[in-house]
Amino acid sequence: MACFKMIGTALIISSLGAWGLSGARGIGKRTEELRDLRFAVAFLEKEITYMHTPLTRALERTARMCQQPVSALFLESARRLKAGKGLTAGEAWMSGLESLNIKSNLQSGDLEILATAAHHLGVSDSSDQKKFLVLLQEELKVQEEKARQEQAAKQKLWSYGGFIMGIVIVLLLI
Amino acid sequence: MSAACEMDVLTNEIFPILPPVMRKMFLRADWKKVGNIEEIRMRCNQPLIIRDSEHEYGLDPRAGVTADINKSYRVNGEDIMRTIAAISDNSLYAFEEDIRKGFITISGGHRVGLAGQVVMQDTHIKSIKEFSSISIRIAREIRNCASGVMNTIYSPADKVRSTLLVSPPRCGKTTLLRDIARLLSSGSRQHKGLNVVIVDERSELAGCYLGIPQLDVGPRTDVLDSCTKAAGMIIAVRGMSPEVIITDELGRKEDVDAVQECLNAGVSIISSVHAGTIEELQNRPLMKGLLESRAFKNIILLSRSRGPGTIDKIVRWD
Repeated sequence: MACFKMIGTALIISSLGAWGLSGARGIGKRTEELRDLRFAVAFLEKEITYMHTPLTRALERTARMCQQPVSALFLESARRLKAGKGLTAGEAWMSGLESLNIKSNLQSGDLEILATAAHHLGVSDSSDQKKFLVLLQEELKVQEEKARQEQAAKQKLWSYGGFIMGIVIVLLLI
Repeated sequence: MSAACEMDVLTNEIFPILPPVMRKMFLRADWKKVGNIEEIRMRCNQPLIIRDSEHEYGLDPRAGVTADINKSYRVNGEDIMRTIAAISDNSLYAFEEDIRKGFITISGGHRVGLAGQVVMQDTHIKSIKEFSSISIRIAREIRNCASGVMNTIYSPADKVRSTLLVSPPRCGKTTLLRDIARLLSSGSRQHKGLNVVIVDERSELAGCYLGIPQLDVGPRTDVLDSCTKAAGMIIAVRGMSPEVIITDELGRKEDVDAVQECLNAGVSIISSVHAGTIEELQNRPLMKGLLESRAFKNIILLSRSRGPGTIDKIVRWD
């Protein structure tokens, strides 16, 4: 009987602990994604301002340079532009954001910052494009810092919290 | 150009750059009564205007083509924005140089003129922003329109005589020059094909898009696109060993000097100049000097008396 109790205790603590750890990792993901996004925007900025690559191709190349789920934003916007249904860059960008929203851990605030790009993308000369893309990177960096601070506090709570909750349940059951 | 061919050009090259609302109207309208469309003009909050060689028309959203432009569809800011997005492939930053010149040449060699708020830097135009007007000029290729003048251009010794086309604007100088380039470059049974260089300052002769001629200028033709005439003529002689140089609208002193230089190098020049008559031309000191130097052996006067491209008179100076 004691043996069963031991196994049950171990199971409860480890499963809740694992749940807590995966939750903690989820918080870390948002920071990672924000960083990936910032790098991707930097790449896009170079493509646009130095190489003068047409937007559709610049978006495709950016998508190839970054990882999932961030690549979804660039891939989807490029796909929409390529379809050639008289869509503007802004509209294509917004539908890219929708598909990013589904796949990522980003929060609405992060997406709102990205949405501001819709008004500027591709519709001005390269010095203007540079200005707004640099600004976008800075804003993403601020979000990233905030996310990192939040992450440190929450990650601890989640990773310990899972185990503690497991122990509490075991104590109550015993 | 036949009506069917004309429609093809419109549906493949012009309609795709129009905003969806306007594209639908253009596709639905009946164009039988309208001649070859030369120009489509969009001005913010003003009626849409379409021009053929003689008249202007509006496009009523319900009734289609109309002669009363007040009934025409009113272009709004969004239409302009969408057209510019489509023309520039959503990448206006890649067309800075073109915008500074005031137009973008699109696939097919058609020219899209732009107006709006101009951003100045010192005395130069830096850019145009807040676009308010778009004028789409449809490039027209009329094959063999120059066959009538070719026998005056070739001399009996199978050389090319330097030729100056003289006419007021919109008489078909550019179209004629383009066809002369094509015919000289292609050659024929009697004449071998020649190396031709086109110095195309305004991207009108060859209609280059991304540097590649969109209009047929012949198999032995090199194009210096959006290059100033004087500089272009000199580097052409240096680098491309042309037998004929073709360029549009001489006007400045540098151009005339470059023409002399090329003639001294044994290259023939075929060019054009704005003027109604030879007398008018001689009233301009620069042109008077050029004529008196006998640089050009042929002067061809064009008018619109029997439609654009009517050849009024050919004057031989040799």
